[in-house]
Amino acid sequence: MSPSIVEVVNVAREVAWLPWAVQYFFLIGLSVGCFLLTVPWFALRRPAWERASRMALLGALTCGLTAPVALLSDLHQPGRFLNFYLHPNLGSWMAWGAFFIPLYLSGLMLYTWLALRPDLKRLADAGGRWASAYRALAYGGHDSLGAIRMAAMLALSGAALVALYTGMEVMVVRARPLWDTPFLPVQFFVTAVAGAIGLVLVLDRFVGDGRAAAEAGLPRLLAATQVLVLVLGAAWLLLGITGLSPRHAQALAQVAPSTAWRITAVWAAGSALATLWLSLAARGAAGRLAAGLIALHSAWMMRWTVFIGGQEIPKTGAGYYDYHLPLGHDGLLGIVGTAGLWIAVLILLVSVLPWSGPRHIQA
Amino acid sequence: MSDDTLLQSRRGFLRALPAITAGAALPMGSARASEGKPHWAMLVDVRKCIGCQACTVSCIMENAVPVNSFRTIVSTYAVAQEVDGKLTAGTYVLPRLCNHCDHPPCVPVCPVGATFKRDDGIVVVDGDRCVGCAYCVQACPYDARFINHDTNKADKCTFCAHRVDAGLLPACVETCVGGARIFGDLNDPKGELRRRLDAAKNTDAIKVLKPESGTRPNVFYIGLDPRFQGRVEGQAALWRPSEHGG
Repeated sequence: MSPSIVEVVNVAREVAWLPWAVQYFFLIGLSVGCFLLTVPWFALRRPAWERASRMALLGALTCGLTAPVALLSDLHQPGRFLNFYLHPNLGSWMAWGAFFIPLYLSGLMLYTWLALRPDLKRLADAGGRWASAYRALAYGGHDSLGAIRMAAMLALSGAALVALYTGMEVMVVRARPLWDTPFLPVQFFVTAVAGAIGLVLVLDRFVGDGRAAAEAGLPRLLAATQVLVLVLGAAWLLLGITGLSPRHAQALAQVAPSTAWRITAVWAAGSALATLWLSLAARGAAGRLAAGLIALHSAWMMRWTVFIGGQEIPKTGAGYYDYHLPLGHDGLLGIVGTAGLWIAVLILLVSVLPWSGPRHIQA
Repeated sequence: MSDDTLLQSRRGFLRALPAITAGAALPMGSARASEGKPHWAMLVDVRKCIGCQACTVSCIMENAVPVNSFRTIVSTYAVAQEVDGKLTAGTYVLPRLCNHCDHPPCVPVCPVGATFKRDDGIVVVDGDRCVGCAYCVQACPYDARFINHDTNKADKCTFCAHRVDAGLLPACVETCVGGARIFGDLNDPKGELRRRLDAAKNTDAIKVLKPESGTRPNVFYIGLDPRFQGRVEGQAALWRPSEHGG
């Protein structure tokens, strides 16, 4: 008989990064991914991308404006964010995030304004109660490609820094082998882009005219991200199983005994395969919508698994901590609230801004 | 017993392994902190701990630790194993607290510099500056930190810095029934802590938790079973207090 140990008394450390953190990483990732999808039309003027880029800009803005609210909520007292600027510790990736987020969002908003100026002028010219407001907002309504490209560069640098810091912030936590892997920032980025494509497919179905996906070849792009997701997952697993990387082997050893973790891994791989199949095989609107929704779900689930699941692994104690989603603001209400805020921002932006371009205004 | 025989069993191998790292765990002779200042540390003699949790309770009372949160606790394990063909069962107890590391992973990650190491080696949190982001909670390899539900800020053992500054012992040391916790100045060659550590210099009796993490803890252990030095491989706790129940 081998020695057996039963933990009789020990403390269970609670999940300290709450579902708010999952929501933040999910939304800011989607925003960055969506922003990248806006570039082909607004900065590079590829005609096939016009519809997709317009939907992507809507996605980038709605997610970008909602994400920091979730982040502030995770501080328990939002006013505390001032300390990030009063006492920054520049050796911490999180401290840099406090500067990268405003850089990205200000770049994104400037880019959005420059990109939509001609459409705002058309709205003003069409007349109506808000014509004067639209005229003021259009500020001449020039289509300044040079300025748009400069703003795109600013937003792109902000987006790259946000993607970098969000990945590095988690990767440098050596105390958690599951997080402490160079794969993590790449996995965050790839799943964020996949989720962003998924969001554009969903917005195309419910806000757009349903033609963006086919014109821009979004299903093929989504399929490519799923291949990357599967390759990264397989490489992670291989490094762990073979022991080529001790950190991956340690991480795998921590989660492998858990049935819940094994089911999660199968579910994630199955979701990626389903998205891949739907992206390549489905021709209709329903298939594209399903692919988009599954991609969105995968991006969220990946972050939930990494953050909440990762914190269920004790650093010193035996077994696993049990996490039960609270129904209040630090649990379900936080998730629903963030989703509700996103929908409210979406409704507001769809109502007041010309997302469909000239077609919408002429109609 | 020859070395070969010792390494034949897995248990023997595990017991021998920490000896390799014992040298790294032991503190240098002196001057670990600022010149002329004390460098506080703790030695836990696990053999003397009776698992009474008096330290746990006194810490809660002294530091107003919220319900179901702990700055220190005596982890208690039921261990069954075969010795000389006979099945034996026993209890193993392990007092845990912040290790006040020389290379504390919690300090560099703090985005606002709220957590820092004092000149006397004690790692503390500036509650006025802490934003409650819990990054330090994630970075600590010992699960020694938590978010205080009363303040919503990071909380941890401070070696009872307020008592130490007043010339008193930490509450857990003061109340330890078996005298298992020895608190003292690493820079004081005549102090009990330094003498006990020096006496064990050439043996592998002194150990620290997770020596491979490179944190250089200032909480040392005598009688630390290697199976409990890192993450314990066993069945999860039967009783685990937490904020949302238990």
